[in-house]
Amino acid sequence: MESTLLSHHLGLAGLVFSIGLVGVLVRRNLLVTYMCLELMLAAAMLALVAFSRHNGTMDGQVLVFFIITVAAAEVAVGLALIVALQRRGGAVGSDRLDALGD
Amino acid sequence: MDASLLAWILFLPLASAAACGLLLRRRGTLAAGLSIGTAFAVAGLALRALHGLGDGEVILAQAEIGRLGETALRVGLRLDGHAALMLFVVTFVGAWIHLFSWGYMREDGARGRFFAGLSLFMFAILGIVLADGLLMTFAFWELVGFCSYLLISHYWDTGFAPPAAKKAFIVNRVGDLGFILGIAMCLSTYGTADFGELAAKAAVEPAPALLGFLLLCGFIGKSAQFPLHVWLTDAMAGPTPVSALIHAATMVAAGVFLMARIDFLLAPEVLQLCLWSGAGMAALAGLCALAQTDIKRSLAYSTLAHLGIMGAALGLGPDLGGGLTGAQLALLHMTTHAFFKATLFLGAGSVIHGCHHEQDMLRMGGLARRMPLTFAAFLAATLSNCAVPFLAGWYSKDAILEAAHTSGGAAFALLAVAAVATCLYSARMIRLVFLGEPRAEGAREAHESPWTMTLPLVVLGLGYSVVAGTYLGLPEAAARILPAPMEFHLGAASAVGLVALALGLVALVLYGRSSGDALRDRAPRLHGILERRWMDGLYDGYVAKVQQPAAELVAFLDLALINGLAGKVLAGGVPALLGAASRRLFHAGSVRATAAWFALGALLLIALLMGLL
Repeated sequence: MESTLLSHHLGLAGLVFSIGLVGVLVRRNLLVTYMCLELMLAAAMLALVAFSRHNGTMDGQVLVFFIITVAAAEVAVGLALIVALQRRGGAVGSDRLDALGD
Repeated sequence: MDASLLAWILFLPLASAAACGLLLRRRGTLAAGLSIGTAFAVAGLALRALHGLGDGEVILAQAEIGRLGETALRVGLRLDGHAALMLFVVTFVGAWIHLFSWGYMREDGARGRFFAGLSLFMFAILGIVLADGLLMTFAFWELVGFCSYLLISHYWDTGFAPPAAKKAFIVNRVGDLGFILGIAMCLSTYGTADFGELAAKAAVEPAPALLGFLLLCGFIGKSAQFPLHVWLTDAMAGPTPVSALIHAATMVAAGVFLMARIDFLLAPEVLQLCLWSGAGMAALAGLCALAQTDIKRSLAYSTLAHLGIMGAALGLGPDLGGGLTGAQLALLHMTTHAFFKATLFLGAGSVIHGCHHEQDMLRMGGLARRMPLTFAAFLAATLSNCAVPFLAGWYSKDAILEAAHTSGGAAFALLAVAAVATCLYSARMIRLVFLGEPRAEGAREAHESPWTMTLPLVVLGLGYSVVAGTYLGLPEAAARILPAPMEFHLGAASAVGLVALALGLVALVLYGRSSGDALRDRAPRLHGILERRWMDGLYDGYVAKVQQPAAELVAFLDLALINGLAGKVLAGGVPALLGAASRRLFHAGSVRATAAWFALGALLLIALLMGLL
C-alpha cells in the first residue's frame, strides 16, 4: 500500500515536472516561462515530501519549507527583472532576449 | 588579578567602534559620547590593572589557534613592565584626546565615522600593547595602519587627504614586508614567535643579524624612520586630534615599543644601523622643522626628530652600565614625548580652531593674550620639548644624550645638533604663533576654545609635562622598566642642553625682529634646502624612471607572449574551429534554445547515472 502511494506521488511529480519543462521549452512569453519554472520547482518539492513521508522522517518536509522561503525571495527578484525588461524593451518575449548571442 | 581585566580593556573599544560605526553613523553626538566614555572607562580599567600588577609580575593568557607542522601558533594577552608603561601612555593620552575631539569636531558632519575610527584605533593599539607574541602583534600592527589610513582620509572630499592616506598606507607596506619576513624567519629559526619563549631561546642562541634587520624594517615603516619617514609629514592632512593621538603619541611610538620588547633579537650590527639612522634623522628633521610654515607640519618634523632620538637610544645597545639598556631609555623618552607632543598637537589644534582653520604660522601671532590657557599649556609642553631642567622631557632626552656621549661615539654630535634644532624651532613657533602682533584677520578674531578642548590641554600639558615630569612621567609605571632611580650630574649632555637653550633665546629675539620668517629673509638658500623634500623627489624619480618602465616591460611581455602568442596563435587552430561550431549551436542567444540544451544535458546525465548508457 505504502509503496504504491509513493509511486503515485512520484508519478504525479514527474508529470508536473514534464508539463513545466515543456512549457519552458515551448512558450515564448517570459511570464508563462517563469510560471512553468515554478511548476518544475513545485514538482521537485512534491517528490521531496513524498519521500519524506515514505521514509517516515521529517527531513524532506523541513527542506521544503526552506525551499518555499527561498523561492518566494527568488520570485520577487525574478518578477522584478521581468518588469524591468518590460519597461526597457516593451515586450517580454523570450525570443527577443538574444543580446548574449553574437 | 587575572587576564579577564585585560580582555575588557582590549575589547571595550572594539564594541564602541562597532556601535559607532554600524548604528550611530548619523547620530554624531551620541557616537562621540559613547566613544569618549569608553576611552575614559578603559583608562580607569588600565589604572586598576597597573595598580594590581606586582613588581616583575607578568600576566599571561594564551590560546592556540592553529599548528604549522611542529610550530604552534598562539594568540594571547601579556602584561609586563614594558606593556604596563605603554598601556598607561595609550589609555591616558587616548582618553584626553578623545575628550578634545568632542570640541574640535563639534561642527563636523561625519562625527559617527570619526569616533568609530578613533575607537577602532584604540582597540588596535591596545592589541599591540597587550600582544604576547609577534603573530598577534603583526595582526594589530596592520589594523593600526588601516585605522591611520581611515582617519587621515577623514576629509575625503578634499584634494590632499586621500593621497596622503594612500601614501601612509603604501609606505608602511614596504616596511611591513620586511617585518613579516622577519616573523617567518623567527618561526623557522626558533620555532616560536612568543615573546617569553623567544627571550629564553635567544639567550642561548643569539639571533642572526638578518633577523634583527628584517624586524627593524617594521619599526622603520611604522615609526617613520629614515628612509621611510616621508609619510608622516603628509599624514597631517587628517584632523588634528588624529595627528596628536596616532601620528605623535601612540602609533608611531608603537615601533619603539616593539623594538624595546624584542631588543634581545637585535644583533650589534643592527643596533649600529639603528643608532646612526636615528641620530641622523633626528638632526635633519629638527633642522627641517625650521623651514615649515604650516604649524602641524612643523610639529610633524619635530616628531620625526624625537622618533630619531628614540631610534638612536635603541641603538645604544643593551649595556649602558648599571643595568640600564638603550631600549629602556627609548621607552622612557617615548613616554614623556607622548605627553608633551600630544599637548603640542592639541595646542596647535586649539589654535587652528580659534583662528578659524588657519594653519599658516605666518598668519598668526599675538595669540598669547587671546588664548591664555592654550598658550600656558603649549608653553609648558614646548619647554618640556626643549628639555628645560626638571621638566619631563629633560629627564629622558638628557639621559639619552648622556648615554650617547659615553657609549655612542660620534652619534652624540648628531644628537646634540638635534637638541639645538629643537630649541630653535620651538622658539620660532612660540614667537610666530603666540607673541607679537596678529598678522592676519583670523588671528585678530581668535577666541579661546571651549573647556572640552582646554581641559585636556591643561591636564596633559601642565599635569604631565611639568608636575609629573619631576617624577619621571608616572613614577610607578616608569619604575617598572628602569633598574634604579636615575641620577643626574653635570656632564656633556647638560652643557649641550644649556647651549641649546641659550640659542633658543637668541632665536626668540631674532624671529621677533622680522615681519615674516627670519630664516627665509636672511638665508633663502639654506631655507630652500631645508624646505625641499629630497626623499620624495628620490622616490618620485625611482617610480618614474625604474618602476614604471619595468611595469611597462612586464605588461608588454604579457600582451605579446601570453595574449599574442599563446592566446591568438597557439589557441587559434583547432579550438577556434570547435568554438565556431559550438557558438552556432549552443550560444545562439535564445533563452529557449539554452533551456533545451540544458534539459537534454540533464537527461543524458540521468541516463548515465542510471546505467542506461
